[in-house]
Amino acid sequence: MAAWPHWLPLVVLAPLLGAVFTPVVSLRSRHVAPWWALAVMSATSVAALFLVLRVASEGPFSYLPGGWQPPYGIELRFDEFSAVISVICLIGWLAVLYSLRYTEWLREVPKQRIPYYYALLLLNLGGMIGFVVTGDLFNLFVFLEILSLSAYALVAFSGEHIAEMAAFKYLLMGAISSLLVLFSVGIIFGITGSLNMADVATRIGQLDSAAPAALALAMLAIGFMVKAAVFPVHIWLPDAHAIAPSPISAVLSGLVVKVGIIGLIRVYQIYYAAGVLDLHTLNQVLVWLGAISIVMGAFFAIFQDDIKLMLAYSTISNVGYIVMGLGLSTNFSVIGGSVHVFNHALIKATLFLAAGALIYRTGYRTLTDLRGIGRSMPLTCIAISIGAISIVGIPPTAGFLCKWYIALGAFEADQPFFGFALIFGALFIFIYYIRMVNAFYFQAPVHPEILEVAEAPLSMLAPTLLLASLCLIMGILGRIPLAFIEPAAARLLAPLGG
Amino acid sequence: MKKAFVAALLILTAMPLLIGVAALPPHGDPDTPVHTHISARYLEEGREEAGADNIVTGVLLNYRGLDTAGEVTVIFTALMAGLAVLISHKKQPEGDAAYDAAEAAAEDAPVRAPVSPVVSFVVRLLAPFIALFAVYVIVNGHVTPGGGFQGGAILGALFIALTIVLGRERTRTLMPRLAQPWMQGAALLTFVGVGIVGGALTGYFLGFPADASLHLARKLMMLVLEAGIGLGGAAVFATLFLQMEAE
Amino acid sequence: MLEALWNNVDYVASVVLFCIGLYIIIAKNNLIKKFLGLNIMETAVFSFIIALGVIDGGDAPIMGAGAHAPFSSPVPQALVLTGIVVAVSTTALALSLIIRIYRQCGTIEADELREME
Repeated sequence: MAAWPHWLPLVVLAPLLGAVFTPVVSLRSRHVAPWWALAVMSATSVAALFLVLRVASEGPFSYLPGGWQPPYGIELRFDEFSAVISVICLIGWLAVLYSLRYTEWLREVPKQRIPYYYALLLLNLGGMIGFVVTGDLFNLFVFLEILSLSAYALVAFSGEHIAEMAAFKYLLMGAISSLLVLFSVGIIFGITGSLNMADVATRIGQLDSAAPAALALAMLAIGFMVKAAVFPVHIWLPDAHAIAPSPISAVLSGLVVKVGIIGLIRVYQIYYAAGVLDLHTLNQVLVWLGAISIVMGAFFAIFQDDIKLMLAYSTISNVGYIVMGLGLSTNFSVIGGSVHVFNHALIKATLFLAAGALIYRTGYRTLTDLRGIGRSMPLTCIAISIGAISIVGIPPTAGFLCKWYIALGAFEADQPFFGFALIFGALFIFIYYIRMVNAFYFQAPVHPEILEVAEAPLSMLAPTLLLASLCLIMGILGRIPLAFIEPAAARLLAPLGG
Repeated sequence: MKKAFVAALLILTAMPLLIGVAALPPHGDPDTPVHTHISARYLEEGREEAGADNIVTGVLLNYRGLDTAGEVTVIFTALMAGLAVLISHKKQPEGDAAYDAAEAAAEDAPVRAPVSPVVSFVVRLLAPFIALFAVYVIVNGHVTPGGGFQGGAILGALFIALTIVLGRERTRTLMPRLAQPWMQGAALLTFVGVGIVGGALTGYFLGFPADASLHLARKLMMLVLEAGIGLGGAAVFATLFLQMEAE
Repeated sequence: MLEALWNNVDYVASVVLFCIGLYIIIAKNNLIKKFLGLNIMETAVFSFIIALGVIDGGDAPIMGAGAHAPFSSPVPQALVLTGIVVAVSTTALALSLIIRIYRQCGTIEADELREME
């Protein structure tokens, strides 16, 4: 089955087509929409599974829609980094399941909007999958727009005016960053006459003048850094991620910011192979910005009382780790950074889904109001605690190995300062999660009725617990993804050594 | 302070951009990579390979078909996004069973300025011609400038003009409730449909048969694609307009 | 440098347009104006990409009777067609958001909205 060639276009088109059918199937009753979305995501997950199996056994492979050879047609290319679609499918599936109860509960939201919510969620997931598997620069832009547009709308979905403001701010910054990407695609086309990534990489190396190539590189890097919310272009993130409905926060924080990271990896793949520019400056900028993001995100998170805002700042901090790992550009750090893309997605989705369950049951969203909740919702709070120790990076959990690898990379690159910045950031993170766990378990409740609330419903509890257990399992089996990504990282960095 | 910041940011943006574009290959020179690499093959072989006199259409539908599929998805996304943001508590959506027409009319209390009889007459007079032109642009897209998007935009504009003149109640009958979601998704649906047919014929998704014996099939597939894109685009514009107007 | 800029004056025009759009986004207070600034930036990028495909004395890339070489490159035109559709979609969503913000807050001035938060 894994050898069937058409899984690759299928995995992109299935969610998009599913989204088109969502309004059709919900003509009769809007309650069909979530089940339909669940079915679509199941089918997509099957396709994704076969693709990941295939890349594990035979390495990167391509699909040529229309049968045109690469520089002339669009190439879909599946490499080890594309395996992130497995976690996109997993979190997407669980977010749909979780939304089943959550969207009905949002009082501000007219019920007729709900089918469109599922359509947008499917479009968002489909756009991300397309973005990750495409091997063509302009196609990358098109999928980037699908996922960005749907993300803006999903942030605004809850219908409060703050949400719409946050969505508008996100839209302005996101649209400018997309334009930067489009501009640099234009420049790259202007100097190479090609849009295929592999072809561009070979042709960009044969140019006389490096200035346009450098300009395109800078604009691509800035554009994707906005999407990934690296300091100083992170300002859209806290509001958008905190105000979005919780399953959407999980998708945005876990997956959509990672799209920026994957974009950066694609840029590196082109420019390292081209060898036309010395990327040392960009790397140094990324490392510094990553370090600032780590410390600043963690620092701001400490002072947040709103649980979702705190998690949003923690996302900035964690994106900082990944960007720093890429910027250090040693074998260890790149492996650690890319695996943190997977692991942070799992961890942050756990935390946001659990936080959403707390808000769903109690209606409160600040740590002060939620004091003592650990006694009435023990399972959800266990999930939060597992997520918390994972994100700090305490050994048996998913967060540990990647951060360890990034730190190793810092020492290997002879920049121990950044290794210390990383450890310092982890300490900050530790403080704010201690605060959270302390509030849930050890402090006396502000609102006595909080001790009476029931545990979260099954459709919300099950995804949370599944993700939490995955955080533990990925910690124990942490070597498998590291080994899986290793050849891709080696290929990425090979032009540097040679 | 703010002015200085804005000026600094603009200079910081403009300088690298200017340095970068100044070093681009000279504008209009036929020996630059833009013209010698993939474009050259499109121009030389495109007419036979892709089956369209208009090479732009050939690139859009055939060589880079997946881009266009993504593009129609973007429009569809905009529609879903618009609906998810705009539908409000106050009003039931069109055609809902619980929808009380009288109540809605009262709520709808026309804030609209009356339409001048001249405008109304001219729009109604021109409507069939505009529709005919839209269809011409759609079906002739592979020979002359034009194609599905352009024709769809004209159709959508016609719909909007008619809604302004005749009122939403009359134009809404053009999009029956049950057919609405099909029309809105028409573009991607035809893309996937044609893509699968092409896949059965050529072995590649979105492939177009290049064989001379299947020449007619290829023409037909392109035509269906253009029509689907046009219909889908028009339906999206129309729905977005109706929804925004209802707000 | 100046000569190179003059040779590529079409690209320079796009850069100027790009900066004008950016200025409007940063300096203007009204959300619709901000958004129009974004549209100007989009136009700048589209005109840049279209200018890439131009060839001196070239014809539109449409074959058939009366067509004569050289032809402009068809790829930028196809890209910009896609780009325009994307821009239209972004505009539609942004306007929808602005409508809702105005409904709920009664204003679309950025500083007044900030005070309300």
